[in-house]
Amino acid sequence: MKMYRKLSSLLFLGLAMSFTQCKDSGEDLQPDDENELITSVTLNFKEDATGTVTSFSYKDADGDGGNAPTKFDTVALKANTKYTMTIEFLDESKTPADNITEEIREESDEHLLVYTPAPASLLTYTYGDKDENNFNVGLTGTVQTGPAGTGNLKVQLRHQPEGKNGSPTIGSDDANLDFVLKVQ
Amino acid sequence: MRNKFLLIILAVLLSLPIIVFGQNPGCACFVKGVVKDKHTNQPVIGATVLLVGQNTGVFTDENGRYELRNLCPGSYTLECRIVGYNPFRQKLDLTAGHEENFDLEEQEVHLQDVEITAHRTESPSSQPLTTLSGIDLEKTRGQNLGESLKGVAGVTTLQTGSSIAKPVIHGLHSNRILIMNNGVRQEGQQWGSEHAPEIDPFIATRLSVVKGAAGVRYGSDAIGGVILVEPEELPFDKMLSGELNAVGFSNGRQGVVSGTLQGGIKNFKGFAWRAQGTFKRGGNIRTPNYFLDNTGISEKNFSLSAGYRHKGFGIDVFYSRFATQIGIFSGSHIGSVTDLLNVIQKGEPLVKSGFSYAINRPNQNVAHELIKAETHYHFQNGNRLQWTFARQLNDRNEYDLHRPRNDSIAALNHPELTFKLSTLTNDLVWDHKPIAGKLAGQVGISTLYQYNLMDGRPLIPNFNQFNVGLFWMERYVTKRWEFEAGIRYDYRTLKTYRIVNRQKVADDFQFANFSGTVGATRSFSEKFSVRLNAGSAWRAPNVSELFSDGVHHGAAAFERGDAALQAEKAFNTIASLKYVDTKWSAEIGGYFNYIADFIYLKPQAEPILTVRGAFPYFKYTQTDATFKGIDVSASWEFLRNTTIASKLSYLRVYDQRNDSYLVMIPPNRVDNQLKYELPDKGNLHGTFLSLGNLLVARQKRVPANSDFLPPPKAYSLWNLQAGTSVHFAEKQEIEIGINIQNLFNTAYRDYLNRFRYYADEMGRNASLRLKWKFGA
Repeated sequence: MKMYRKLSSLLFLGLAMSFTQCKDSGEDLQPDDENELITSVTLNFKEDATGTVTSFSYKDADGDGGNAPTKFDTVALKANTKYTMTIEFLDESKTPADNITEEIREESDEHLLVYTPAPASLLTYTYGDKDENNFNVGLTGTVQTGPAGTGNLKVQLRHQPEGKNGSPTIGSDDANLDFVLKVQ
Repeated sequence: MRNKFLLIILAVLLSLPIIVFGQNPGCACFVKGVVKDKHTNQPVIGATVLLVGQNTGVFTDENGRYELRNLCPGSYTLECRIVGYNPFRQKLDLTAGHEENFDLEEQEVHLQDVEITAHRTESPSSQPLTTLSGIDLEKTRGQNLGESLKGVAGVTTLQTGSSIAKPVIHGLHSNRILIMNNGVRQEGQQWGSEHAPEIDPFIATRLSVVKGAAGVRYGSDAIGGVILVEPEELPFDKMLSGELNAVGFSNGRQGVVSGTLQGGIKNFKGFAWRAQGTFKRGGNIRTPNYFLDNTGISEKNFSLSAGYRHKGFGIDVFYSRFATQIGIFSGSHIGSVTDLLNVIQKGEPLVKSGFSYAINRPNQNVAHELIKAETHYHFQNGNRLQWTFARQLNDRNEYDLHRPRNDSIAALNHPELTFKLSTLTNDLVWDHKPIAGKLAGQVGISTLYQYNLMDGRPLIPNFNQFNVGLFWMERYVTKRWEFEAGIRYDYRTLKTYRIVNRQKVADDFQFANFSGTVGATRSFSEKFSVRLNAGSAWRAPNVSELFSDGVHHGAAAFERGDAALQAEKAFNTIASLKYVDTKWSAEIGGYFNYIADFIYLKPQAEPILTVRGAFPYFKYTQTDATFKGIDVSASWEFLRNTTIASKLSYLRVYDQRNDSYLVMIPPNRVDNQLKYELPDKGNLHGTFLSLGNLLVARQKRVPANSDFLPPPKAYSLWNLQAGTSVHFAEKQEIEIGINIQNLFNTAYRDYLNRFRYYADEMGRNASLRLKWKFGA
């Protein structure tokens, strides 16, 4: 019977322990913290002849999932025109918005922007910047449009943490967007 | 092998000389002994002890004693059947050495004293249970838990590369199977297909698989089956003993060392302790044609346990820590569907590598701690009370391939995903004493309290979960029949916290369900028995099924949860036939598992647009699914010392609501082993040589347009094994094993490997295993 008492006191202790250990996981809830998030991509085209700037954006303020992208502009350019193009990446889920373009510039030896028009005759892109190893980056460059037509402009931000050699095949996509392209 | 089939792990501690006199009529021999519980060392009352093929059977008395009288000299098989225990069988020879003892008292000469210590089994006895122990378990040493269980018919693995393997029972895995680690529900982040069980198989001397729904005894989630990881009983009042295992693998140049020391303590009766530790280190895995970059592993585990027994009272305390760092093949990282299609088109990884032990990003860093106390008390009248209390802490850290772009954040080197899951479990079980020696049972209450803290990239919410379950099981045993029935009720509350648009959102869920089991076992003869079981189990949707909302990068899929999901209910029937003879044995099991409201990822028509492009969109949806299958294992000693053993697993799964198949179902397979055993010679024993082949079919039953690639082709793998034991000194033994897997370095891919898009499976892997055992 002595054992029985011993056992029941142990039991009581255990039950007490199992409830005192209770903790509310809600109190420890950390805010979202995605370091790689890109919520907005903007292409700025400055017409060389006039200096007029037109911008086209993709915006998905809450990142993947949640609400659908709020903006995905059609890139409308003039035929047979020369533009200077810059690209801008933002993480607007944070306050203030995180300027990803700056981070890419700092780590330009690990990133490569690739612009692929389809059909290829719509425009020609020429890189205007190089990283410390003299490989293209693509944050700024020139665009020469061809004759009028419609198609796509694929914009890829390749993350190449190892072995960037100017080729787009290595690494993986941090951004991969197919803008509708209208040259008129 | 025989032991494995009979499901017997027992120790005969004491055998007095067998002495029988030669007079006629000589039927005056008898066998007597005591039946004890292997765990508590207490006598078992009301066990049936009988001689196979004879009409004699007795029950053990209140001291666990039995006595079989008036036996004629001859060979017998003693069988002990106890409700709630594994059956015990032992051969007896009542013919030897009678003349010398002719003059002795009758009481002393015609006697064999057999002490039976029986292992409790809590799984329904009418459900198929396969146990890996002894040499079958030794052969798997050095492998992870999932890999170790691959030898059981009906069990396969779900893999992420070569180093992460999760067990799959009858096509079900992750949250649908339960792992009982040393009597405690293993609680990690099981929902993740790349989250392997955090258990060091070296702590176990028995790995058992209960196939089919076993919800009554083990609670929710045991829809597909239960894996029992059981250590050896503590060595109460025994001398110091131990073992040292060393395993080397050629592939990955992996080394594993594990040691155990255990014993009683002098002058402290009833006490025992054990200390155990494992160290594992491996580098890049090689497929037949290339190395896989960043596939190394580093693991450090240890466990400590101690126990005390005094009369009917006993207590065991156990602590274990499992810590692993696993490199994830870097070529499996993709940013967009375009990246994935590029790898698939190339047919081999874009990332090339040589051999290295370095573990870089991406990797997983996981630690799992378990502290457990189990105490029991045997009342004088045969009742028993057992209480198990356990606390687990699962600390999982996952590092992505890419460091944060921001240098100051990158310098901190924080994991991109952190999960901390704490679990407290309590189980209180009351075993009532057998009624009329035939009816025994238990009632119990189990509670679980759990909270999850998440940090980093949003993936699953924080949550608090509380579960309480009440169960009652009874078993009725006669000489030829065994019946059992049980019922359980579970109630679960789940409160989740997540951030939506920078606001904290809390959600409450409640789930409640009954589960039940009925079963019967009929022994037609000592060789042939049939079992039938019908059971149910349920599973509440897990947090990832409720709240996923994002791109699953390994699968290049956008996955979205559904907070309105209901619990899954499984109804499982399983029938098995078993025939065991001296030259051959066979076990055939057929099952039908109907899962109502089965949760799966349903492909949606429209892709989801993200900044990384459009991803195929999958949504967690419920359907009714049927799982039908057959497991066959058979062995035949067709020549002296030469045995052929075959195992076949056949499974068909169907989505009843949509008239379609389901994804990620293991293809059918057949495994054949030809084994030659050499007779014991000198101090060599258990010497064998075996050649085996595993044939895995192509999974043809997949829904259309649900995958980037059709399931991989069928494959055939050969393996070669050899082993022996050397008794080189008194109480010292060395065991040696050689094993070559994928003998012909075959290049293949497996449907249930999530990296099948990216790379081939592991190439040839030769291993050498040494075990030094002393003191026991």
